[in-house]
Amino acid sequence: MKISYRWLARHVDLSGTSAVDIARELTLSTAEVEGVESFLPHLCDVTVGHVVQREKHPDADKLSLCRVDVGQGEPLQIVCGAPNVRAGLKVVVATAGTTLPGDFKIKKSKIRGVESNGMICSERELGLGVEHDGIWELPAGLAVGARLGAALGLEDWVIEIDNKSVTHRPDLWGHRGIAAELAAILRRPLKPLDLALPATGGGASVGVRIESDACSRYLALRVEGARATRSPLWLKSLLLAVGQRPIDLLVDLSNFVMLDLGQPNHLFDARKIGAQGIVVRKARAGEVLKTLDEVERKLEASDLLICNGDEPVALAGIMGGEGSKVAEDTSQLVLEVAAFHAPTVRRTSARLGLRTDASARFEKTLDPELVPRAAAHLVRLLQAEQPEVKLAAPATDVGQWTSAAKTIRLRGERVRMLLGADLDDAAITDILVRLGFGVAKDGEGLAVRVPSIRGTKDISIEQDLVEEVGRIYRYGNIPEIPLAGILVPPPRDERRRLVRRIEDRLAGSARFHQQISYSFVPDTTILKLGLQSTPHVEVQNPITEGASRVRRSVVVSLLPLLEPNRRRAAEVRLFEVGKGYEPVGGAEPTERHEVALVLARPARKANARFDDTSLALLQGVVEDLVRSLGLEACTWSRCEAVASWAHPGRATALRIGSQETLVGEVAAIEPGLARELGLAGEIESDIALARVSVDALLGATPRARRYSPLPQFPATRVDVALALPSERSAGEAKAALERSGKGLVSGLELFDVFTGERIGAGRRSLAWHVTLSAPDRTLNEADVKKFLERVEREAVQLGGELRRE
Amino acid sequence: MTHDAASVRALLGEILAALASASESDETRSLRQRLERFVALPDEALTSAVLLEASAAPLGAMRVFPKEARGLVGSKANAIKQAALAALAVEEQAALARALAAERSGAGFDATLPPPRQACGSLHPITQVTRELEDLFTSMGWTILDGPEVETEHFNFDALNISPDHPARDTMDTFWVRTAPGETRLVMRTHTSPVQVRAMRRLQPPFRAIVPGKVFRNEALDASHEHTFHQMEGLVVGKHVSVGHLIAAMKTLLRGIFGREIEIRLRPGYFPFVEPGFELDARCPFCTEGCSVCKRSTWIELLPCGMVHPNVLKAGGIDPEQWTGFAFGLGLSRLVMLRFGIDDVRHLLAGDMRFLEQF
Repeated sequence: MKISYRWLARHVDLSGTSAVDIARELTLSTAEVEGVESFLPHLCDVTVGHVVQREKHPDADKLSLCRVDVGQGEPLQIVCGAPNVRAGLKVVVATAGTTLPGDFKIKKSKIRGVESNGMICSERELGLGVEHDGIWELPAGLAVGARLGAALGLEDWVIEIDNKSVTHRPDLWGHRGIAAELAAILRRPLKPLDLALPATGGGASVGVRIESDACSRYLALRVEGARATRSPLWLKSLLLAVGQRPIDLLVDLSNFVMLDLGQPNHLFDARKIGAQGIVVRKARAGEVLKTLDEVERKLEASDLLICNGDEPVALAGIMGGEGSKVAEDTSQLVLEVAAFHAPTVRRTSARLGLRTDASARFEKTLDPELVPRAAAHLVRLLQAEQPEVKLAAPATDVGQWTSAAKTIRLRGERVRMLLGADLDDAAITDILVRLGFGVAKDGEGLAVRVPSIRGTKDISIEQDLVEEVGRIYRYGNIPEIPLAGILVPPPRDERRRLVRRIEDRLAGSARFHQQISYSFVPDTTILKLGLQSTPHVEVQNPITEGASRVRRSVVVSLLPLLEPNRRRAAEVRLFEVGKGYEPVGGAEPTERHEVALVLARPARKANARFDDTSLALLQGVVEDLVRSLGLEACTWSRCEAVASWAHPGRATALRIGSQETLVGEVAAIEPGLARELGLAGEIESDIALARVSVDALLGATPRARRYSPLPQFPATRVDVALALPSERSAGEAKAALERSGKGLVSGLELFDVFTGERIGAGRRSLAWHVTLSAPDRTLNEADVKKFLERVEREAVQLGGELRRE
Repeated sequence: MTHDAASVRALLGEILAALASASESDETRSLRQRLERFVALPDEALTSAVLLEASAAPLGAMRVFPKEARGLVGSKANAIKQAALAALAVEEQAALARALAAERSGAGFDATLPPPRQACGSLHPITQVTRELEDLFTSMGWTILDGPEVETEHFNFDALNISPDHPARDTMDTFWVRTAPGETRLVMRTHTSPVQVRAMRRLQPPFRAIVPGKVFRNEALDASHEHTFHQMEGLVVGKHVSVGHLIAAMKTLLRGIFGREIEIRLRPGYFPFVEPGFELDARCPFCTEGCSVCKRSTWIELLPCGMVHPNVLKAGGIDPEQWTGFAFGLGLSRLVMLRFGIDDVRHLLAGDMRFLEQF
């Protein structure tokens, strides 16, 4: 919202206070100022000139050759093309070196062979209007050589206020409201403004019937004899300063009153309001109204209409109808000033995407007491310009409104406690009175009378008054007070501690990069995963089509990152700790905390070691993670119910210790999905993914952390290779070796897996380093021999054999 | 040379003298010539090897000496041998010193030869800054809380004094979750503030808590706007908690973030869940005369804050007459961008390893 410094000065004395000062004061006490700009700065560069002599241009019929006195030495020779230039006129001269709007630089030039030393300007060339019917004829009394801005009092600054910072202050949506703030801040009186309606004739008033409680007050007033003439300079320049294009006196005054008092209003052509009078009612679904911007608006039952009888003539509080707009030939007007239900206006305006200066104000909840005041203001301003304007009939002022004025009890003690500032009751009273509140003693406290204009929304409880006192007192005057109290360690948040350890391990020794993703999953990913019929939490209004689903699992967020990253790097190592949501009908969704990991490497070479796969490496990472968290060892099994991203034949389920709970899955990527994700051709990759439940890790059994004595006797190492039927798992082989050790096996490491002719069809060989040791003696050859014999028996039982090299 | 060449020559002289009494023979002559050659050698030529030879010569030809002189010749020759061994030790010491010196010179070493690359992982910059703040606040006795990203309308709006008709609901550009009529209405939380009321219901005042987390706004994306970003809520509820406490806490927070004293200012700001509400500006930590970060104003709008609205305390089951509090909402994503000089907010969640590897 743009605020004009000169406009403010109509309401409060601003002498000695610059626009920049005001911007700072408002920022610190009232609202955020986004910037201050000089209004038409070139008005201070152009000068008042006196046309001393005018001759016809020797070489062009339509041009004049003028000598213009600009108060500096000899009169300047200027060529002018305007038909109305003549000797004796006071005009605006832009001398060489001046820059006019549109970056138009005035230079000495030759026009048809005659030298011209500047330009005589029109109002439009100065940015002050749209008329272009000649040069601007200034009042004769202006001093020659004076700067135009100063001579006409047009010097102004535009203060831009952040609208968002005043959504709660309907009173600040007009210059008088801002001026009232400055009056309080600067301790200067607000200039009086007579807002009583002038006397009216006794004719027939406009009939008004309100049929909806979305209109609490409606004032209609017949105005006769007004003409849509050009607005005077003072009005045009103020409107231009705040970014409004001047149209004609009637439109401009209507806008002026809105921007001055914050109360929108509307002028109808009286001929369009028939005998049935004005009816304020809700629209009927499907009804149509062509608004002033010539757009057909489809209405809904929640929209509020102003009607001529039954025929809609305006969208209440938003925009007038094209059909009832004031025609040029009319002098019979009906002025509407009303109070509308803020949410109704806001919803209609939002739905139609039609935001106007009026709707912006009505949706803030305006004070119904402003209604007659704004009407009076408009009429008085109009009569000042056109004294012949008459009010033929009394105003119709109907509705069920209540004043928002109220009395709130304020305890000085409460102000001092909440602000932490040492303000006595007198100081508090002084501030409130400056702000326009009435203050009376009320026992130990104060009874504060809130005027209606502040009471519609912003001020309703004691704490609101504390803010009023604080902001005028200035928060910068409040001393800082360190928080004091008994310090107790905050309760331990086990999950947060766990997540930190997970992050540290994965970003540390595991060398993964932490990613934080959007919670929305694109439908393209959902389709690739075939999850379109799986219920997801979905938003109604996604940022783009196809991005409405919220992830159930964190892993899916990492999938779309594979292809672009893999294209740039041979190895992709990413992890994310985050939340997934599963919808629960009628209630809050189930929240899951998860760790997701992805490891992608170039496709595996034929001669790679048996455990040189991304899946095995990622399992190793997860095992290391689980160990580092101080939990019992990982137990791996074939995963039965595989996730949509997991390779159905290469998926492992993770459990911890002997617990039943599934803690996570580590799997190769679903092969079809890898292709869908674009991981083919030169970036064909060996990819493994993991999902680990943070919730399950929290519930997992910690490993016993106890010292075990260091071995006193040396261990013995033997290598054994078991050739077993292929369907026998490594887990079975491992168990067989452990059984064979009868407690002597202290270490088992698989170092080779191979198949081939030597092993026989349908069999594979698993080769292990076995460490044997006893706590009380050094093992001898006989122990090893007995161990190998037992292994041999176990191997046979498993349908295979112990291989001897 | 540590041994005395003169004494060696004297020893040789005594052996030569003993040789003079020996009967003349080819062997005697040969030995004399050899011994005399040793005597004639310059000092520096008397190395351990030469001395060893000089001691070995008479010992190897002992039979040419008369019987009575053999004892004396033997002892003299042994004395020369001792001198040889001593010289040898000195020479070995010197050789070792030379070898070490040569090794230490580092000839052929190139300090700029790149070492083999040791890959490493990384913590997300948001995690890093969040942890710094968590550590700062926990060190002052604050609790860290978590809340759901998919939030109920009640906690996100109603409990925060944002009624259904409140324009703030529009300005927050809410993502509404699709629910059936009559079901609990859900939103993607638009701020971390809903955890305020959740915290009040869980914790007994007095308490101090922060809530870092992800929030969502239905906004068009550009270099400074994201529909998903991170915030950190702060909430203190206690007896007589005032604006003065808020100011002190915010100054402590800024000292923690920037590592030095930062001037702040509070100015009015409107948020329905605080009263009075403020915008907190910090004096731009990057300039003194205005820069692009502070848009030439020397102030950075850093966080909204305020005194908890009595209606919010009531929604949390806390009596606003007994207890007061303050709350703030720090834009973590923005802070991360300021901290690391990130110019485009969209990098934060894009998952480009070239970005993540930098932290």
